[in-house]
Amino acid sequence: MGEVELSCLAYVKMYLHACLFPRCSVNGLLLSSSPAGGAVCVTDCVPLLHTHLPLAPITQLALTQVDVWCAQTQQRIVGYYQANACVSDSSPTPCALKIADKIAEQCNNAVLLMIDGGKMSPDYRVPPIVMYERKDTRWTLKDKHTIMLRQWEETRDIASQLLDSGDHSLLVDFDSHLDDITRDWTNQKLNAKIAELASPANGNV
Amino acid sequence: MASVSEMYDVTWEEMRDKLRKWREDNHRNSEQIVDVGEELINEHASKLGDDIWIIYEQVMIAALDCSRDDLAWTCLQELKRQFPGSQRVKRLAGMRLEALEKYEDANKQYDSILQDDPTNTAARKRKISILKAQGKSAEAIRELNEYLEQFVGDQEAWHELSELYINEHDYGKAAFCLEELMMTNPHNHLYCEQYAEVKYTQGGLENLELSRKYFAQALKLNNRNMRALFGLYMSASHIAASPKVNATVKKANVKYATWATNQINRAYQLAGRGTKENKCSVKAVEEMLESITMS
Repeated sequence: MGEVELSCLAYVKMYLHACLFPRCSVNGLLLSSSPAGGAVCVTDCVPLLHTHLPLAPITQLALTQVDVWCAQTQQRIVGYYQANACVSDSSPTPCALKIADKIAEQCNNAVLLMIDGGKMSPDYRVPPIVMYERKDTRWTLKDKHTIMLRQWEETRDIASQLLDSGDHSLLVDFDSHLDDITRDWTNQKLNAKIAELASPANGNV
Repeated sequence: MASVSEMYDVTWEEMRDKLRKWREDNHRNSEQIVDVGEELINEHASKLGDDIWIIYEQVMIAALDCSRDDLAWTCLQELKRQFPGSQRVKRLAGMRLEALEKYEDANKQYDSILQDDPTNTAARKRKISILKAQGKSAEAIRELNEYLEQFVGDQEAWHELSELYINEHDYGKAAFCLEELMMTNPHNHLYCEQYAEVKYTQGGLENLELSRKYFAQALKLNNRNMRALFGLYMSASHIAASPKVNATVKKANVKYATWATNQINRAYQLAGRGTKENKCSVKAVEEMLESITMS
């Protein structure tokens, strides 16, 4: 199918989410601020859960809230990401497929992204991600050549920097928000930090 | 790099007390434990007295969590020297093998402990953890069930089993485990709330009503549990919207949902005050709640 572009912002937050909860499976939603049609540009992501991923109520709640926020900010939900706790197995779980199916109902070239925990070392030469797209009713592996990550080395370095400085703890996922609702799951603060680090490398991320 | 004591301006006694608190609360903040513990061990070992042995154990486990095999090895050697032949130290050696993914060797360690002492629960639980780490969930579940037949009061094991069942989407059995936990811990709001989430996930009118009851119970036990509050709102709304309920039930659930909405709004108003940071999330909730149509 079509091309998918993954922005620095989306990648870094996903990566940091996985790093923040190394013993848990984590998941989140992929968003786009570009109009529908043509290539899918993932411009941002919202980290959702790190506990009880298969349970329904909080997932439903999060989807609803993110939907509302997207409408307010002219974004769309275009995909779903997950990193499994067990690093040896990066295949999509039934709950991942279920949520991705739901997203595909509203967005016909939605993507399902699995983070490959075994390949997450800081100097890895390729992004530790595996993407799936919907062909008929099944999620199939996407051709690697249709996935674009501009400025990969810079993106990777930004992620490492934030990890080293401990700033990854700034990341708030929906679960953490429910533990303390003064914390912002849209991550404005972290977004600003990432933008700051990205600006000399690339004019627009 | 500045030492912990310099960065946070703490004395060695405060560091030691912090470690004790983390031990007692069973915190898994391994990076912090390694930072504080390593400095204590390196700089103040002589002042710690007999506390040092339990600190070695605590730091060793934290070091394994952070892939600090060098530090783990050092701690293990000290413990081996001081307590030769100890089952407890043997178990730590097993954990180190687990961290190095040498599962066969680790299992041998635990089997040898169990040969000498078949009631050693720690070794049995480590063996189950190995199954979990290897992705062998069905076997882990089976072993854990067997374990619980013998050690029926082990709360940690019941909770672990509920998590394993949830991951396998076996919600009925997960609910059973949580029922056990609620029976023995009637004041724990988290168990009520998790039970409610499982019931909600199972779906169907009866389960939704149960879930609403248990979300409400969780709130009674802790009125700041946001998951329970949202859960109450969602379960009550779904029941009210169901074509299978009569007018009385519908009315009651609309009332519950409205009450929950007001509480949620209040909580977010309070949270939104003063901080610009979470304005986006506050707005999202407001809009979502406005959209509930109670007819």
